[in-house]
Amino acid sequence: MRVAERTKPDGGKAPTVSARSSVSTATHVAPRRRRGVNREGLEAGRRSTRTILWILLAAAMVLYGFPFLYLLFTSFKTPIDTIAVPPTILPKEWTLENYANALGRSGVLASFINSIQTAIISTLLSLVLAVPAAYGITRYKTPSGRVFIMAALVTRMVPPVAIGIPLASMMASAGLADTPIALSIAHTTISLPLSIWLMSSFFEAVPRDLEEAATVDGCSRLGALWRVVIPVVSGGIAVTAIFAFLASWNEFLFALLMTAIRSQTTPVVIANFQTQFGLDWGSMTALAAVYSIPVILLTLLLQRKIVAGMTLGAVKG
Amino acid sequence: MRISDRRFALYLMTPAALFLAVFVAYPLFRLIADSFFKISPIAGGPRDFVGFQNYAAAFASEAFMGAGWRTLAYTVVVVTLEFALGLGMALLFTTLGRKSQVWRTVFLYPLMIAPIVAGLLWKFLMIDNFGLIGTLLHQAGILSNPNQIGWLSDPNIVLFSVAVPDIWLTTSFMCLVLFAGLQNIPGDLIEAARLDGAKAPALLFQIILPLLRPVIAVALVVRGIDAARAFDTILIQTNGGPQSASETMSLLIYRTMIRFGDPGLASAMGTIYLLAMLAVAFFAVATIWRPGKDN
Repeated sequence: MRVAERTKPDGGKAPTVSARSSVSTATHVAPRRRRGVNREGLEAGRRSTRTILWILLAAAMVLYGFPFLYLLFTSFKTPIDTIAVPPTILPKEWTLENYANALGRSGVLASFINSIQTAIISTLLSLVLAVPAAYGITRYKTPSGRVFIMAALVTRMVPPVAIGIPLASMMASAGLADTPIALSIAHTTISLPLSIWLMSSFFEAVPRDLEEAATVDGCSRLGALWRVVIPVVSGGIAVTAIFAFLASWNEFLFALLMTAIRSQTTPVVIANFQTQFGLDWGSMTALAAVYSIPVILLTLLLQRKIVAGMTLGAVKG
Repeated sequence: MRISDRRFALYLMTPAALFLAVFVAYPLFRLIADSFFKISPIAGGPRDFVGFQNYAAAFASEAFMGAGWRTLAYTVVVVTLEFALGLGMALLFTTLGRKSQVWRTVFLYPLMIAPIVAGLLWKFLMIDNFGLIGTLLHQAGILSNPNQIGWLSDPNIVLFSVAVPDIWLTTSFMCLVLFAGLQNIPGDLIEAARLDGAKAPALLFQIILPLLRPVIAVALVVRGIDAARAFDTILIQTNGGPQSASETMSLLIYRTMIRFGDPGLASAMGTIYLLAMLAVAFFAVATIWRPGKDN
C-alpha cells in the first residue's frame, strides 16, 4: 500500500548509533522503530521515571476501560441483581439470562439485520460516489474541484437535526418511508463528505507517473483509474469503507426520525427499551454489549489501518 | 474523441455533487423555507406565511436562549477536558515509546462504541440508587450517602454529568491526533532544549505546544463542531431534563419539532443554529484547512 509506504519512517537510512543525535523520521502514528534505536527526543530516560509513567498509564487504562467492563459484567448478572442496591461490580451469579431476554424480544434480531443492511448499502453508496469524486479533485486540481471539496466539508458541519425532518418527509413522498434504503441514503449524507476527504488524502499519495505510464501504454483515463490507480489505493478504500460502515452502524438520530417498526436499527431499539418496556437495564446492557463487541474486535484486528485513516483525516492540512 | 481533463474531472465529481445537492442542500433549502411559515403539525394542515415571526419568537423565547448558552457551555467543557486528558495521554504514550503501542490501540476502543450505548452506560453508572459511582464514592468515604450527589437529577450539575460520555468517547480521538502530531516534532529540538537546561514545564509550554499548534487547532475545531451537535448521549441520559437543565440546541429543536409540533419555529431555530455553525466552519476552513491545494 502506497500510503503506508509514504507514512512509514524512512527505512533507507542506516541505523544511527546514538539515538540522541538521530533526527526523528517518524511521521506515522505507530512507527516501527528498528532495534537499537529505542530512544527519541521525548522518550523518558531514567528507569524510575519510566516506572512512575507505567503506573500512571496502568491507572489511566483501568479507569478508561472500566465503564465498558462494568457494562459487560452487568450483562451477566441476573435481572434482579442488575438493579440491586448497593450495586456490585462483579455478578454474584454469572448467567446468560439477560442475553436470552434481550435477543428473544420481538424485533431485536430483525433490527440487527436492518443495521447490517443499512450500513452495507450506505458504505457501498459512499464508496461509489466518493472514489471517483476524490480522484477528480486530487488528480486534476480544477477550480470546480476546490469549490466542491470545500462544499463537501461544509456539509459535515450541518447539524443532522436540521436536515433530518425535511429529509424524512422527502423520503416519505418518494414512497421510501421506513425502508433501509431511505435510512442508508440519510447515513450517506454523513459518510460521503468524510469518505471524499479520506479518499482525497489517499489519492494524493499516489505518484502521478503511474497513470501517465498507463495512458502512454494506450489506457484511457478511466481505464487507468480502474486498472492502475484503484488497485494501488485498495488499502485506503478499505479504511474508508470501515469509517463509512461505523458511521452508519452507530448512527441514532436519523434512524429515530426515519424508521418505524419495519426498518428500525438496533440503536433505536436500545433506546426504546427505556420507555416501551419500563427500565429493563439487564436486557439493555446485554443488547448494547452484543452490538458493540463486533466493531470493537474489528477495530483491534484492523487497528493499523484505522489509525492511519484517522490520522490522515484529521492531521493532514 | 478525447474530452478535456477539466471536463473529465467534472464528470467524476458530478454524481457525488448531485447526491449532496439533492440530499443535503435541498433539505436545507426546505428547512429555511419552512422557517418563514406557521405550519400545522397535522399532515396537509394549513401553512401560512408569517415572515420573520418565527425568528422573533425564537429569540424571544427563554428556552432558545437558554439552550444556546447551554450548548456553548457544554461544548467548552467537553472540548477543554478532552483536550487536557487527550494531551496528557498522548504525552504519556510518547514518553513511554514503542512499548506502549498495544495500549495505544486498546485506548482507542471507545471510538467504536455507539454514542447511544455510551450514554446508556454512563447513565447506568451515575443513576440514583443503583448507580455505581455514588456507591463507590460512599464506600471510599468521600460521600456520606451514595445518593448525596444527584449526578443526573440535580439541575445545577446535570450539564456536566451528561458531558461525561462524550468526553469518554472522544478523548481517544484527541489523543490519537495529538500523538501523531508529537511524533512529528524532531527529537533534536527536544534534546537541544534539554541541554540548555529546559525543565519539563518549559519544554511543554515553550516548545511542544507551539509546535503542535496547527494540529491542536484542527483537533479543537473538529471536536468543537461535533460537541455542539451532541444529541444521542444527552437524549438517552436525561432527555434534556431535569427542568431543561441539560437541553442543548439539538434537543430543543428536536422537541420543538416532534413533541411540541411547531415545525415553523423549529425550522427557524434550526436555521439560526446552522448559520452559527457555518460561521464557525467557514472561519475554521479558511484559516486552518486548505484542502485540495498543492503545498
